[in-house]
Amino acid sequence: MASFEPVLLRNLGVENSRSVRVYESRGGYQAARKALKMTPDEVVEEVKKANLRGRGGAGFPAGVKWTFLPKDRTRTLLCVNADESEPPTFNNRVLMESDPHQLIEGTIIAAYATRAQIAYVYMRVEFHEQFHILQRAIDEAYAAGYLGEKIFGTDYCLECYVHRGAGAYVCGEETGLIESLEGKRGWPRIKPPFPAVEGLFRRPTVVNNVETLCCVPHIIERGANWFTSIGPPHSTGPKLFCISGPVNRPGCYESPMTITVRELIEREDMGGGMLKGKRVKAVLPGGASMGVLTAAELDMKMDFEDPRKYGLLGLGTAAAVVVDESVDLRGVLRNLTRFYGTESCGQCTQCREGTAWMYKIATRIAMDAGRLEDLDIILETSRNMGMMPGLSICGLPDGATYPIETLIKKFRGELEAAIRAQPPDRAERVLKVLN
Amino acid sequence: MPKITIDNKEVECRAGIPVLQAALEAGWDVPHYCYHPGLSIVASCRLCLMEMMMPDPKTKEMVWSPKLAPSCQTPVRDGLVVRFDSDRVRHNQDICMEFFLLNHPLDCPVCDQAGECYLQDYSYKFGRPYSRMMDQKLVNPKKDIGPRTLLYQDRCVMCSRCVRFTDEISGTNELCLVNRGSRTEIDVFPGKPLDNPLQGNVVDICPVGSLLDKDFLFKRRVWELTGTPSVCPTCATGCSIRIDHADNTIYRLKPRHNPKVNQWWICDEGRFNFKYVQDAKRIAAPLVRRGSETSCPDWNDLPQIIRFRLEEHVREKGDQTVAAVFSPFMACEEAWLLARFIRSVAPQATLVLGPIPMVGEDQRFPVGTTNGDAKFTILREKCPNRRGVGLVLTSLGGPSLEFEPFVEQCKKGAFSAAWIVGGYPTPWVSKDTAKIAEGFEFLIVQDIFENELMAGAAIILPACAWTEREGSFMNAAGILQPFDRAITPPEGAKRDGQFLFDMAGYSGLYMGDRVRAMMAADIPGFAEAYVPPPEPPFAH
Repeated sequence: MASFEPVLLRNLGVENSRSVRVYESRGGYQAARKALKMTPDEVVEEVKKANLRGRGGAGFPAGVKWTFLPKDRTRTLLCVNADESEPPTFNNRVLMESDPHQLIEGTIIAAYATRAQIAYVYMRVEFHEQFHILQRAIDEAYAAGYLGEKIFGTDYCLECYVHRGAGAYVCGEETGLIESLEGKRGWPRIKPPFPAVEGLFRRPTVVNNVETLCCVPHIIERGANWFTSIGPPHSTGPKLFCISGPVNRPGCYESPMTITVRELIEREDMGGGMLKGKRVKAVLPGGASMGVLTAAELDMKMDFEDPRKYGLLGLGTAAAVVVDESVDLRGVLRNLTRFYGTESCGQCTQCREGTAWMYKIATRIAMDAGRLEDLDIILETSRNMGMMPGLSICGLPDGATYPIETLIKKFRGELEAAIRAQPPDRAERVLKVLN
Repeated sequence: MPKITIDNKEVECRAGIPVLQAALEAGWDVPHYCYHPGLSIVASCRLCLMEMMMPDPKTKEMVWSPKLAPSCQTPVRDGLVVRFDSDRVRHNQDICMEFFLLNHPLDCPVCDQAGECYLQDYSYKFGRPYSRMMDQKLVNPKKDIGPRTLLYQDRCVMCSRCVRFTDEISGTNELCLVNRGSRTEIDVFPGKPLDNPLQGNVVDICPVGSLLDKDFLFKRRVWELTGTPSVCPTCATGCSIRIDHADNTIYRLKPRHNPKVNQWWICDEGRFNFKYVQDAKRIAAPLVRRGSETSCPDWNDLPQIIRFRLEEHVREKGDQTVAAVFSPFMACEEAWLLARFIRSVAPQATLVLGPIPMVGEDQRFPVGTTNGDAKFTILREKCPNRRGVGLVLTSLGGPSLEFEPFVEQCKKGAFSAAWIVGGYPTPWVSKDTAKIAEGFEFLIVQDIFENELMAGAAIILPACAWTEREGSFMNAAGILQPFDRAITPPEGAKRDGQFLFDMAGYSGLYMGDRVRAMMAADIPGFAEAYVPPPEPPFAH
């Protein structure tokens, strides 16, 4: 396994890797040339065969998504989701920083396959430097004739624009992204109609994550069989994993989806073990939204299927945050609820009010003024929202409930102990002051 | 007509409507905030969720879907099976109501909406009597968002109906949403207050006490008000309205749903056009002049006095010298009764339709739409019944004139006796028109306010505003719509319809539909009046 050769990050650390010259000298844009000689349907078929599952969080197969487009469409639009706003996640950022042309090449192929002639890159506003890097790369690609009219001398044309968001987590949700791109408030849309049928500017639209698109050139170049040979059958291809928190080497690493959380933390070429030999208390392995693992559950495989066995929502963005033994979990709870409380878009009642309420309670618990029944209220509230029971338009509240619910369920003893250790009348006193 | 099954009962419904609308029309009380039949669907309040039968992906057997589905977003289709009467649905309604009230100030005692508030109603019916939140409430601000409207953000349930209204119906887009999560607020853009001709509707469609009408603010508790169905007399569109009144005072006008005319909306011009009814300057008693003598006769003696003097005049000068001017503010029935009376005394009397007030241009909404696509129209013809009165006059035949030729003829001395009916809410006698008063030997002027013609009038009669009368108006599209009387006229005045009924020689009580039936014998156009179907009891 140690012999795995990076695919997505192969240009990381190469001098001038952002320039089109260096990218091409290392085999770049060959896949796009090859793809444009195939028919669009052949490209879709190849990606479908590779079982490329979306890297944005939900893990929906990208090739299948492309086939949802209506057959008789006249215009398709492609959106590249670069609104990487999941809390501890930075794999798209690394890709855009080190290898922007890889993304552009993937965009060209995906746009060709879906017969889109305009591609929008929706980039989160906090990516200042990355925006300039990508914009420079796009300008280079235009100058080289890889974007614009008659790409590689074929009849295919593609315009590519970068649109910067305004700093909302919910705009990473595909219909929220589409609304925001249209210049509206980033409120997710009701479905149906699905974006593939009626999306951006009411046209059939495909939204793909940056990392997903970065996989596409490699599938075209080396074939679907090569791609499926990497990793387990349900989670094929290379994947970027982020690790942050008190580890020796926080960062973004590439691996097949065969590694475990423990390997991600401990391996010398990855996390490099815990800082100062601290012990792990908990890990949020898939970004903030997927749920929490205890120290005893570190053998979870980082693929699309295994996390469910541990009560997690899914692989998510595969960005792990380690919480060490010195951390007060009440602070973790407060931090998590704060994020969703401030990032809920405000559209659906349960999410708007529920996330804010959970944050209020978690804040009070963190102030040493919790009550034991508060944990039950949080648990009940978290069960009363989300798309899965049909109580919301988008998946944000699902992402909010999983970490909060798993944290309370898996660490209930510790949280209750902390509440019991408070001064006896503290909760009543603080409530009196608050009200 | 698709058939769907709601709570084990088969319901036939109109095609293409959402399940929620079908359930409401069939009499279910499904709680909802964001859904409004006149606006686009956003499915964001998540209160109307239902359970739906779906085929099991494995066995293909029909089972209750594990997910709740928004009934406002699910269109009806034949064979659909849904239920609202289930534990999961009720649980969702329960938690939703708790969420809606988490940060609500519970200031019902000082809230204008109390009594017609769907937070109150739904909490009572679907919610729980206590809140489990111990922490401090989030207090969103109160804002003055326009010259006529206040926004109490702390009471808002974020249904976004008002925002969609300004986007989709008025087309003016003043309202927007700012901030995120539970701090989301309705707001206006800096320097662009909510000030469009339809803005009052946002107060009507607000299901809670968040948007408030400054005119009605703190005036009256709504449960003390009586609502009387009526028709707006402000322009020829003829919107269906409800007059809310108490103690013989009108407090506000509200739209009624009318699928043929105004849908759910009315304009501000009509909404606030009731102040003149309560004006102290109104004429309240009849006055008779003979030479230099004036007297205030009893209403019961007036028919004889008028008939006697008019007959006297016809005997002396002939019946061609008699004219009657009909105001376009008269109800069809009143116009017919007056015409019958005049013609009974002077068979060759000339019938004249009074001046038609025209102001500006027609206004179509959403702003910028043309005639065909308009969702609401305010007409420049600022009177309710030009067509109805016109139809009465043409159907009766005999001599008739337009108002301007009539004025010209008067100046030439063609008429020496006339009965002129005003009833306009604004001054209507121009300087030119005022001159004709001198030429009459016997002039009856009937109006709400004093006008310039009255100086030369032999008899002055107080008229009533439409809120005190009963009858029907025919709007610009030719739809005949009845209206009821809401309040009694000021002390001393008498309802026009009843007085003209007596004048025309009938005895008993004047009733609009009875007179309409009598008219229909002569004029088929009055056979049927259109009354919009009532809205489902739990729709709002």
